Amino acid sequence: MSDIRHSLLRRDALSAAKEVLYHLDIYFSSQLQSAPLPLVDKGPAELLEEFLFQVPKERGAPPKRLNSLQELQLLEIMCNYFQEQTKDSVRQIIFSSLFSPQGNKADDSRMALLGKLVSMAVAVCRVPVLECAAFWLQRTPAVYCVRLARALVDDYCNLVPGSIQTLKQIFSASPRFCCQFITSVTALYDLSSDDLIPPSDLLELIVSWIFEDPRLILITFLNTPIAANLPIGFLELTPLTGLIRWCVKAPLAYKRKKKASLSNGHPPSKIAKDSTSGEDRDCHQLYSKLHLSVLQVLMMLQGHLTEKNLYGRLGLVPFDHVVPLVEEINRLSDELNPLNASKEIELALDRLAQALQVAMASGALLCTRDDLRTVCSRLPHNNLLQLVISGPVQQPTHGALPPGFYPHIHTPPLGYPAHAAHPALPAHPALPAHPVQTFIPGMTFPYRPIR
Amino acid sequence: MSALCDPPGAASPPRPPPSAQELAQEVKAFLSGVDPAHGTKLSPQEHARCALLLLRSLPPARHAALQHLRGLFDEQVCAHLLARDNPGAPGAGNAALEEVVQEVQRVLAEFVRANPKAWAPVVSAWSIELMGQLSSKYAGRHGVPHAASLNELLQLWMSCKATRTLMDIYTQCLSAMIGGCPDACVDALLDTSVQHSPHFDWVVAHIGSSFPNTIISRVLSCGLKDFCAHGAAPGDLLFPGAGADKRVPKIASVVGILGHLASRHSGSIKQELLRMFHESLGPARDQHQKATVPFLLQLAVMSPALLGTVSAELVDSLKPPVLNQLHQHFAALPRDELDNMVSIVVHLICQTSAGAHRILHFLVNTAMPASVITAPGPPLHDGVREACDRVVQLLLLNLQKLVYNRGSPNAAEAPLPRPVPFLDALRPHVRELCVETLRLERKRFLWQHQLLALLAVYSAPHCATDALFHLLTLARAPDELALATQLYAVLSSCLTDLLPATVKTCVCQIHAGRLPDAQVAQLFRNLASVVQGDTGDGGPAMGTQLGAVLARHLHDLGQLLLHRDGDVAEAACLLLSVLPLPRAPAPAQLLGTVRAASHQFFLVLRRQNAANLGCSSRLLARLSAVSPAAAKAVLQQLVEGALRRGNAELFGACPEKTNPPEENGAGGAGVSLLDTNRRFTAAVNFSGGVWSVFHAGVIGRGLKAPPGRGERPPEELANNIQTFLSLLLRCSRGARPGESSGGIHPEAAKAVAAALVENVCPEAAGAELTWPPEEQARGTVERDLRICRRFRDHPLLFPLLRLVAAGRPALCYCSVLLRGLLASLMAHWEACRDNGTAGSPWHLQASCALVAAMAEGSLLPPVLGNMHELFPHLAPFEVHLLLLSLWEYLRENSPLPQKFTFQPERGLFRRDFSRDGDVGKHLAVLHSVLHKNIHRLGLLAGRFCP
Repeated sequence: MSDIRHSLLRRDALSAAKEVLYHLDIYFSSQLQSAPLPLVDKGPAELLEEFLFQVPKERGAPPKRLNSLQELQLLEIMCNYFQEQTKDSVRQIIFSSLFSPQGNKADDSRMALLGKLVSMAVAVCRVPVLECAAFWLQRTPAVYCVRLARALVDDYCNLVPGSIQTLKQIFSASPRFCCQFITSVTALYDLSSDDLIPPSDLLELIVSWIFEDPRLILITFLNTPIAANLPIGFLELTPLTGLIRWCVKAPLAYKRKKKASLSNGHPPSKIAKDSTSGEDRDCHQLYSKLHLSVLQVLMMLQGHLTEKNLYGRLGLVPFDHVVPLVEEINRLSDELNPLNASKEIELALDRLAQALQVAMASGALLCTRDDLRTVCSRLPHNNLLQLVISGPVQQPTHGALPPGFYPHIHTPPLGYPAHAAHPALPAHPALPAHPVQTFIPGMTFPYRPIR
Repeated sequence: MSALCDPPGAASPPRPPPSAQELAQEVKAFLSGVDPAHGTKLSPQEHARCALLLLRSLPPARHAALQHLRGLFDEQVCAHLLARDNPGAPGAGNAALEEVVQEVQRVLAEFVRANPKAWAPVVSAWSIELMGQLSSKYAGRHGVPHAASLNELLQLWMSCKATRTLMDIYTQCLSAMIGGCPDACVDALLDTSVQHSPHFDWVVAHIGSSFPNTIISRVLSCGLKDFCAHGAAPGDLLFPGAGADKRVPKIASVVGILGHLASRHSGSIKQELLRMFHESLGPARDQHQKATVPFLLQLAVMSPALLGTVSAELVDSLKPPVLNQLHQHFAALPRDELDNMVSIVVHLICQTSAGAHRILHFLVNTAMPASVITAPGPPLHDGVREACDRVVQLLLLNLQKLVYNRGSPNAAEAPLPRPVPFLDALRPHVRELCVETLRLERKRFLWQHQLLALLAVYSAPHCATDALFHLLTLARAPDELALATQLYAVLSSCLTDLLPATVKTCVCQIHAGRLPDAQVAQLFRNLASVVQGDTGDGGPAMGTQLGAVLARHLHDLGQLLLHRDGDVAEAACLLLSVLPLPRAPAPAQLLGTVRAASHQFFLVLRRQNAANLGCSSRLLARLSAVSPAAAKAVLQQLVEGALRRGNAELFGACPEKTNPPEENGAGGAGVSLLDTNRRFTAAVNFSGGVWSVFHAGVIGRGLKAPPGRGERPPEELANNIQTFLSLLLRCSRGARPGESSGGIHPEAAKAVAAALVENVCPEAAGAELTWPPEEQARGTVERDLRICRRFRDHPLLFPLLRLVAAGRPALCYCSVLLRGLLASLMAHWEACRDNGTAGSPWHLQASCALVAAMAEGSLLPPVLGNMHELFPHLAPFEVHLLLLSLWEYLRENSPLPQKFTFQPERGLFRRDFSRDGDVGKHLAVLHSVLHKNIHRLGLLAGRFCP
């Protein structure tokens, strides 16, 4: 390796980078012939870092930098390389050896280059690169995935007006990438602050994809061999949790954003204009559509789970993620004046209740109603939610299911008088502002589960 | 390749985005510069359009596209400069290039408009960097003005299409971001300014004047951020030299930019700086706010202009609450950082010129220990006071270093001493400083005194002399005066000729009339007490030197003895009386002084002030001690003065009746022709000879005021006479202090005698000393009568005569007077028909006094000289007979000085009467008168035995 390095040192930055790729290709091709799963040596990785990501090996040595033209050239070369490499395994291993984060200082330029490469691949429609990227997204810690997502969103939603169409087209080229992209985007935009509300272009893009084919959401899940324990710190198998979060929190988050921009007293500048009411209405419709699609996918899920023999063993909507979601809703609704935002709170809680119910019923959410009850106990009152956490009358247990697990959807009786049932309910001392979802054990209540 | 062939106008947004394949082709074409379809080379325009297309549809290629466009602008600038150099040559591809440039501008403008948050930073950085590069690249080119001529440069670049476009693009970015957060745009400006500084200044100037407020506040905030990020290593803040530009890179360009704007927007800059300062003191402090004060200090260190703009108002805003806040914030800092900061502050103060006095005032006021009487408002924290105390002390230390190290040992290296603006600015405030110092408030005056010394050394000689002069003038008590001597003690070590210059300043100020009378008097009193050396430590050295220097100004000071304000005159007298007089002063000056001093003596005598009288007579005595001539002049002046109308009343003379009664006019009060003449004349001799020139008064001033007719009690008269005579005696002895007291020196007596003759009977001044026959007296009856009347009018004359007599043989020179008096008395007694002499008491008394004086002066032998003892008991004709015999004796033994011989053993002149003829025949009349009246005069007969 060191003789290669010496020959590379004499070249200029661009040709050195090309040369490294060339050597890497040769190296891995020969390795793959000898062993099915070659280990990436230290040697090639170091060469990559030095000549592709321009991290100087010796201190004090002036870093050779590619200028932006050369960089573009390099990107083109890489795109073409992946396009022309016919062997899937070589492609994968080279891609991962190039872009797997190593936890060193080359990671920043590594991620920057990856972002540009993927962005370029999107624009010129290089499917192999996108497939590799989808694979990469699956095996890389979520923090890096989020960075890639941000780079793409910046490029296609923020910077170049109208270029979102380009991104839209890859739906047909690489659905797998689309699915992973959605997952990483929902991980990025969690609506926890005004900056983390998804741009409307992005939202529209995702909704249009999912609406066109809701199964897009499940592509990764369906095409991956599933280990029972999902590793922590990676992207989830499906974007379901993230999408549920979007749908549930969106009414509250938009309300908060509007309130903030009003109270800041900013004159409606160009930047703030996209929050005008018309566009907001469009967004709300989009979220409704999205919610519907999500519910549909959840319903679809039961079959797939059973098919894979994972029913009741794999929570695609982990209960651990539901808990913070509920807490955030609680906090947001406290934050917003309930008198002004009662409509939004109602909508959010309705969506939450629906999603919870369907997820539980389809086996995507594995928990007992008692768990739900404790989690949701402090939320503002909502009829539907009340019904959901109360649960249906105990059914004869499904043979395969653990006790306390309710697989079926039960429509609660209409017009259930939540308030009439306990009119003298004292206000919760800690939250005097709104009626609280409280379970009262001494009440005669036909749908209460018997434990 | 359809996009490449499109006409430029068709490149409008509605066109659908190119497909992936097309895009790939475009990338290839862009990278290779070759049209993939035809295999021909792309023209610059086509290449540029290709870049634009990528910019619009391939997000990751935007940097590459922008970089490519740099070349386009470069070419355009080059073409512009070429066209400018030879205006005849037609720019071939120029128009097409220009179109593309416009297209670029349109596209970028569209991007920025669509999403300013994302695009403005990128585009502004790109455009500003490109401008920097271009202006640096073409800076050395022929025809491009030098970086120093900003206006020409601005004109050149703004007339160039490409740079103008870039400027417009940047301006659009900045204005798009101005409502939000233009920091990114300004950051790019700063970075580029650092990199391309002198050639890039036109951009800064243009942008700065388009957006003054934004640029000022943003440049400052970006500078602050950068400052925080790089941190200021404490050590070398003061010396932003070699190492600093790497470490704190942006601050230099912050200073540069603000420097550009300072000429027209100094008000905004000042406001912004002050705002930053006050905001940084707010309760919620982030890291930036903590760094604000050090940052501002650093700015001020690097730019004297900014310092000057802000310092004065800053001081005004440092009220107790603000100071307390400051203290609170900096109390937590580590010791060495604080020390560093204080040293910067001190350095800055040294460099401040505008408002230096205010700053000093503020510092000293704040550093003063808390007084019992608290000022209104919140109390000042003790820490603030201590800090200020420290600052003041360090400031003084630093100034001291600056002042004393200015003259470097090798003068060739530093021909011009380093200026200290702080001290320069304090120069006009020397007087205020002195006044404040003299208040002697605790601590404060020590500082101020030290500062005065520094200031004096710094701007010697003027400030040194001024400071001393003010201190000497304004001090009112010994401890205040001590400040002056202490200051001198400090300064004398390093300044030569300080005292002469100071005294000269004093004299000039007095002559110019810039001092009120009271201060002049105070100054003289202070000078006198310094000379006397009763001002504590350091006094004596200064006293002796000061005395010597002051003595050189004898004439000037002497003139002030005649000052219209009595106080001043007395103070001048006091001063002169303690001065060591020069050994050989110019006669004119000496005489002038003598005249003034004697005049002053009589004035004082009239006022009856014992202390002043002491000074005055001491002065005269000392003047007379200078030289024999001086002594003579003093005596002459004194005698003359005593007999003069106006002064004569002091000694019992009745006001002269010769003045016609119509003189009692009211006009011209206080104007004395004589006084006027005294002031004007510079003549050596003003003794009333015929050759003297007089100022004869101003015609039309009306009549002289009548002399005061105050009746004086006899005791006072006696006292005055006593004073006068003792002064005369002192003066006569003056030149010969070693000789025995007791007698009057013959020379002095002679001078008095001459003065007497001259004043009593000027026309007889040159007369013979020999005694004429009695008949001859008939010819001088009128003169004799006049002499007699003078004696009658002036009771002082007889004592004077006695005084002269004591200095034998001086009385001889008065022989004209004696003759006249004797003749008139003889005539009186001859004509007197009274029974006894008691009928005409004055004549009796005068006769007695005359004879006694002549006896004293050894003009008469002892027996004859006792004759006057008989007079009261005789009849007038007998007196006449006796006086006649006297005359005869004198006729035969003329009173000539030659008859006296000097007796060295007694130091006196004596006359040996035995060498004269027999006295016997002259005693006959005496004896017969004795016999005739033996019943009454028997007791006295023993006195007249020869």
